[in-house]
Amino acid sequence: MAERIQLKNISGNNLEQCLKCSICTAYCPVSAVEPNYPGPKHSGPDQERYRLKDEKFFDEALKMCLNCKRCEVACPSGVRIADIIQASRITYSKHRPILRDMMLANTDFVGTMANMVAPIVNTTLGLSPVKAVLHGVMGVDKHRTFPAYSSQKFETWYKRNAAASQDSYKKHVSYFHGCYVNYNYPQLGKDLVKIMNAVGYGVHLLEKEKCCGVALIANGLSGQARKQGQVNVSSIRKSVKEDHRTVLTTSSTCTFTMRDEYEHLLDIDVADVREGLTLATRFLYRLIEQGEIKLAFRKDFKMRAAYHSACHMEKMGWIVYSTELLKMIPGMELIMLDSQCCGIAGTYGFKKENYERSQQIGSGLFRQIKELNPDCVTTDCETCKWQIEMSTGYEVKNPISILADALDVEATMKLNS
Amino acid sequence: MKYDIIIIGGGLSGLTAGIALANAGKRVCIVSAGQSSLHFHSGSFDLLGYDARGEVVEHPLDAVGQLGPEHPYSRLGKSGVQRLAAEAKRLFNRAGISVSGDAIANHYRLSPVGAMKPAWLTIGGFVHSSSGTSLPWKRAEILNIQGFLDFPTQFLAASLKALGVDCQVKSFTTDELSRARKSPTEMRATNIAKVLVDKDSLRKVADRINAISGNADVLLLPAVLGFSDGQSLDDLKAWVKRPVQYVATLPPSVSGVRTAVLLKRLFAQLGGTMLVGDVANGGQFKDGRLVSITTEHLPDEVLYADEFILASGSFMSHGLKSNYEGVFEPVFGLDVDASGNRGDWTRESLFDAQPYMEYGVHTDEAFRTFKNGNTIDNLYAVGSVLSGHNSIRQADGTGVSLLTAFG
Repeated sequence: MAERIQLKNISGNNLEQCLKCSICTAYCPVSAVEPNYPGPKHSGPDQERYRLKDEKFFDEALKMCLNCKRCEVACPSGVRIADIIQASRITYSKHRPILRDMMLANTDFVGTMANMVAPIVNTTLGLSPVKAVLHGVMGVDKHRTFPAYSSQKFETWYKRNAAASQDSYKKHVSYFHGCYVNYNYPQLGKDLVKIMNAVGYGVHLLEKEKCCGVALIANGLSGQARKQGQVNVSSIRKSVKEDHRTVLTTSSTCTFTMRDEYEHLLDIDVADVREGLTLATRFLYRLIEQGEIKLAFRKDFKMRAAYHSACHMEKMGWIVYSTELLKMIPGMELIMLDSQCCGIAGTYGFKKENYERSQQIGSGLFRQIKELNPDCVTTDCETCKWQIEMSTGYEVKNPISILADALDVEATMKLNS
Repeated sequence: MKYDIIIIGGGLSGLTAGIALANAGKRVCIVSAGQSSLHFHSGSFDLLGYDARGEVVEHPLDAVGQLGPEHPYSRLGKSGVQRLAAEAKRLFNRAGISVSGDAIANHYRLSPVGAMKPAWLTIGGFVHSSSGTSLPWKRAEILNIQGFLDFPTQFLAASLKALGVDCQVKSFTTDELSRARKSPTEMRATNIAKVLVDKDSLRKVADRINAISGNADVLLLPAVLGFSDGQSLDDLKAWVKRPVQYVATLPPSVSGVRTAVLLKRLFAQLGGTMLVGDVANGGQFKDGRLVSITTEHLPDEVLYADEFILASGSFMSHGLKSNYEGVFEPVFGLDVDASGNRGDWTRESLFDAQPYMEYGVHTDEAFRTFKNGNTIDNLYAVGSVLSGHNSIRQADGTGVSLLTAFG
């Protein structure tokens, strides 16, 4: 009896485990620069007690939370502080997304439209009068440059150039490419296909893929996020359960959203397929360690790269996979940057009201990169890539792209045939 | 994944062991579940502050011989404690953590509420005194930042007066500090440290202090400077005209955060791997040895090592847990030294020595652990998770964490 009572003493998101030690406040990137934000302890477990009594205690200032999860990584008591904050925004917020928020959040819709007329969109978005309208009327900060839209979607490239040959491989994986690869940077998807094919795996698209929904959740559109999430999970389930194909990703945030946020924030059950969805660097590292595949690298490859720990990579605990994989490249000198938030947090830093805060949060990181002066920066997150490129001028590459570049394809194919 | 050594716990003890082993050329991985109790750091490190009767220890090395056989120091011996204490000081030095003090004789630190406590090493720039009943000044000024509540100046002033120091309390602010005060719950030492990382903001603090301070022998300031290095403590001292000394604040502790940051940085520089925010949740044993462990974030990843070190801390850090059934070690279910009778765990008076404080993992002469009565040959325990010492009663916590980690 006594033991059963103790077992029942578990609260949502471990709320009751909070000791009030305040360690989370020391690691909150927003608290450090924004005194109008009440901080993770107060916004999360402290105020939650009041909100449970009466929703009038909900504070709209919580929208300043980046959902970077660094409070959760720091918490010694396992309290899911950022989940408490995000869940309360979903439940209580009266704030309705404005047109700007909907456009930033609907990556699929906007991306599809933009791809069709990419040269015009890219040029137009770069023009000063357009930036002025975006800034003044829409609330998209004028300092921001939108990542260029590609004239060909990754899916289109795949269907025309890659799809036909994928069945010829003995082993197979699926690929959740995400919006960034599809609309802005298909090269990363091509790099993944190149690596997987070289080690003997065919790469397939999911039956249906929607934006993971991270931007929808952040912009108060959780209903739409849930619908898209259900589509993704059912495609992933088909791939994992029926086709026996692990689903690979090249974006840490999409991965984190689908593995963890779907369940914690959107009530979508992913338990049965969670381990079938993984970051490509993790999948490759584990195959190499198990002796299932081997990689051969170009002898002339040389690079001094600085690794940036994206917040959601840190939360998943998977940084070790990407960095160990990069360290396997003989010509690679890898420097670990201090783990800190870059400040962009997806669409957050694109908003006029957040721009200054966003840059202040990342300032320590930018300074460190400039001091180290590496050949390039590497990170698993595409929005960190934009932020660091915009703020430092250094090129930022996904570990998969570096690996593809360093790979000796013919020698690798021989090793794995 | 395969390492030479895997350490469970990334606090003072785990990091110390990690640095020592990585420095010796080993491939080391630390699994760390959240930040550590260093965030409650007092600004000083203790070796042995009080004997079994609660009397202040003046010469810790001499007092080691009088400890009971169950105390971790008794297994190191007086010469071992002396050698390892010197090694700990070298490690701090190398990591860029400036400390003063010596294992031969304790000095005294000033607690945030003004009590004088015996200490072994104190962070550079903090108040310390060779005597526990006097301070080397006639007149002091306590200067606090307006709106900073984790520095109880009235207690401090009353204590200093009792020690014969004439004391005045003043407060100041600057534009940047007033701005930080907008969110009262966030006006904590660690956030102030981040505001004052900026040199211009710190310069304005120095200007304010120079404007309001009189000609006291010393200006006492809350220790709110230096989140990731000690530069701003030195800068402010140089810019303020009167002598400045720092007094520890209530947690979160800036000196503790800085110690953690600097130790982690050294560990990374030596090639160590750290899995942060991850929890070790079990191990596979074979023939009296631990073969591998798993963690919460990497459920299907088996982490192999030749040797393992458990540095998971005591009850506060969840290295030990209890329920109605008993006290247990949650990762592996190792044997613990603890009474099976719940009534024995505590004494009624809060200020008595609490028996549960001495509970911990049972180890042999070489700090090897036991499971179901059998030694685990390659699983060692270090630091606060060890049984046989009481860090509150005897002020030996950080010493045990540091010294056993080198072993």
